[in-house]
Amino acid sequence: MGITHNNAETHASNRRVDEQHDSTQHYEVLQELGDCYASVGNYAQAQQYYEKAAVLSPDEAGPYVGLGVVSLQKNLLYDAEIAFRVACRLDVNSAKAYAGLAMVAQERADYKQAFEMYLKSLELDTNNLIALLGLFQTSCQMGSFAKVIHYLEVYLDMHPGDTSVMFPLASLYMKDGRFEESKKILLDFLTLDENHKDAANLLEEVEHSLAQAKQETQTGTRMR
Amino acid sequence: MLDTSGKSKNYESPQGARRRKLKRSGALGAKKIVGPVVTVLVPTFNRRRYLAGALASVLRQSYQNLQIIVINDGGEDVIDTVHSFNDQRLIFIDRKENRGKAYSLNEALSLAEGKYIAYLDDDDLYYPSHIETLVDVLENKSDCQVAYSDLYKVYCNVCPDGSRKVLSKVVEISRDFDRFLMLYYNHVLHVSLMHRRDLLEKTGLYNENINVLIDWDTARRLVFFSDFHHVPEITGEFYQPAEDCDRISVQRRKNEKEYTKNIFTIRTTRPAKPWTKLKDMSIIFTTEKLNKQAGTTLGSIWQRTFYPYEVYLPMPVDNFERLNSEMPNIIPVPVNPSSSQSQRIDTALARCKGEYITIVPSGFPMREFWVEDSLYALVNSSAKTEGFELEDSTDRLWALVVRKNDLQHARKSFPNLPVRESLSAAGIKIRRLQPEEIPFQFDQLLHEGRSAEKNGDWSEAAEIFEYITEHHQNALWMKTLAAKASFNAGSHIRAAKLSREVNQQRPTVDTLLLEAKVKREEKDLKSAIELLEKAEQILEGKELLWA
Repeated sequence: MGITHNNAETHASNRRVDEQHDSTQHYEVLQELGDCYASVGNYAQAQQYYEKAAVLSPDEAGPYVGLGVVSLQKNLLYDAEIAFRVACRLDVNSAKAYAGLAMVAQERADYKQAFEMYLKSLELDTNNLIALLGLFQTSCQMGSFAKVIHYLEVYLDMHPGDTSVMFPLASLYMKDGRFEESKKILLDFLTLDENHKDAANLLEEVEHSLAQAKQETQTGTRMR
Repeated sequence: MLDTSGKSKNYESPQGARRRKLKRSGALGAKKIVGPVVTVLVPTFNRRRYLAGALASVLRQSYQNLQIIVINDGGEDVIDTVHSFNDQRLIFIDRKENRGKAYSLNEALSLAEGKYIAYLDDDDLYYPSHIETLVDVLENKSDCQVAYSDLYKVYCNVCPDGSRKVLSKVVEISRDFDRFLMLYYNHVLHVSLMHRRDLLEKTGLYNENINVLIDWDTARRLVFFSDFHHVPEITGEFYQPAEDCDRISVQRRKNEKEYTKNIFTIRTTRPAKPWTKLKDMSIIFTTEKLNKQAGTTLGSIWQRTFYPYEVYLPMPVDNFERLNSEMPNIIPVPVNPSSSQSQRIDTALARCKGEYITIVPSGFPMREFWVEDSLYALVNSSAKTEGFELEDSTDRLWALVVRKNDLQHARKSFPNLPVRESLSAAGIKIRRLQPEEIPFQFDQLLHEGRSAEKNGDWSEAAEIFEYITEHHQNALWMKTLAAKASFNAGSHIRAAKLSREVNQQRPTVDTLLLEAKVKREEKDLKSAIELLEKAEQILEGKELLWA
């Protein structure tokens, strides 16, 4: 019988683990506090914690995204833009920072810029609901939907049953003449939220369009 | 409206509860001097920037009956700092010559009057309840003469002005006392240690001939005479700058040869007997002559054995002049050149002072734990008459560890038989150890958990840490690791449950943060904020202001 164990290695290894310390703990606490306070609408406290986080970890983009959001909420668009730009500079892959810049542009009615920034944000993170809905709104404002449908579909694949995306997608399908796809999503939606009036109304509209289309097809066939 | 006062409703540390109780009783603030004197030793060397904070943390203790001895070990002038406190409990030794930490502690001990001794490095901090917590245990709750608590290891960046920016506070080790491990490796932080002063009469003072791990050397010697009581409360913090450290101890560890030499010295140190908590081991080394092979095996015994031992060398006198005089704990036993090996063992056995006897031949392979594996099984064996063949023992190189009484009985009863046969004839069962009998099983599992963490296999790591929690000691520590691993594995509900259990007993920054993250995911922002603010208070050092 051979009993082996590697206690010597154990202690050496534990020492190595000790050396790999967690340098982000305090930063995480401050950032989480900022996010929580922002979520409950206490922007003064949120700002305070984001500022502390930024001082502690000056290379992190997170606090600047938070500060941008706080400035947006206070309608300080210039300050928000600066904060989001700093965040983009610190982390070129910060989807949230680009979404922030898009929101600033949207507030300024610069829909073209907003659309581009939302797209950039979604390229970095297709899972970003804020950017997705922002893109949808901007598209509505601009009257252009082609790219939005793609991102909404990707998001819904990742989050099946997310009602916040189902309704906009059904609306866009409807606008695009894709009635069957629109109907399917609306039926799923109403299974999840049967009292949603807008969805029920839209479904009625879609079914009407489908019936009309069917009738037109039949008429066309008879004509031939 | 959220309560933003920062006062957590759910969690109160044991220190907090004790402090409230003391406040009600009027003990705090009144500087009431009750209980035995505790002498706190604070050696300092070129850390003027932090010394004031360290001393303030001692003087702010809820326990007031203190004698505090500050020893400047030839470093920059700190007289103003010490005198600025204007406290009669402070004694200052202002030495201009640098003599090292061990010398400084011994110098202070010569002035110490306390029943108990506590230690504080010049850049570390006690929380206000530190001394009180340990005195309470030593006086009222334990037969131990040594107690220790847990500390936060504070990772920080040092700013150009010397101030420290806290990056994290982590309880890296919260381990119940393990005597066998303490002989091999120090698991007790010296700053958290308190012991009776009179124990040093038995252990001896700090060893001034070693220049690193002097704290382990002393703690290891304490192990011979007392159990240690572990108080799993966080009662202070020690600092670890994130940059390459300029600590003397860290610098000295970089000299590997010197470091190893110190370890050998520590492991072979034997305080004067009688030992009240540890049994001695005598190794009878058998060889025909002191040749190169025998020398190598002896050298390996010296390097590999951490359990206290003496080596008995039964051999003709003319071999002794070839002995390496540097090797400690070697006892030559002169024998008749014509005597058999059994007779030589009998001659040595008659002189052995250890309660455990190991017989090992020249050429025996010496790996780490070569004897301790089987010795540990024997120490913990409830069978009265059994011994263990060492793991690498063969018929040609036969080696065993056995109780001295059993071996003496066998040899007295069957002196003409070879040793192995005499043990068998006397009914002493010699067997191999079973896997569940090996020492350091906790460490083995911990190592596996850490490896899983390192490989990013968080589910595996969580499973291992939870298994350890259920089957071994150190539950708080293991639960904390399990919570973190569970969170990273995506089992957020499990992580929250484990964190909550830890937080209800002893909140730490890590577990408060984990529980808060899950609360936030659950949209319970009020609870998340309460937990995070408690974590922030700890990180900001509000614990230090409690008193």
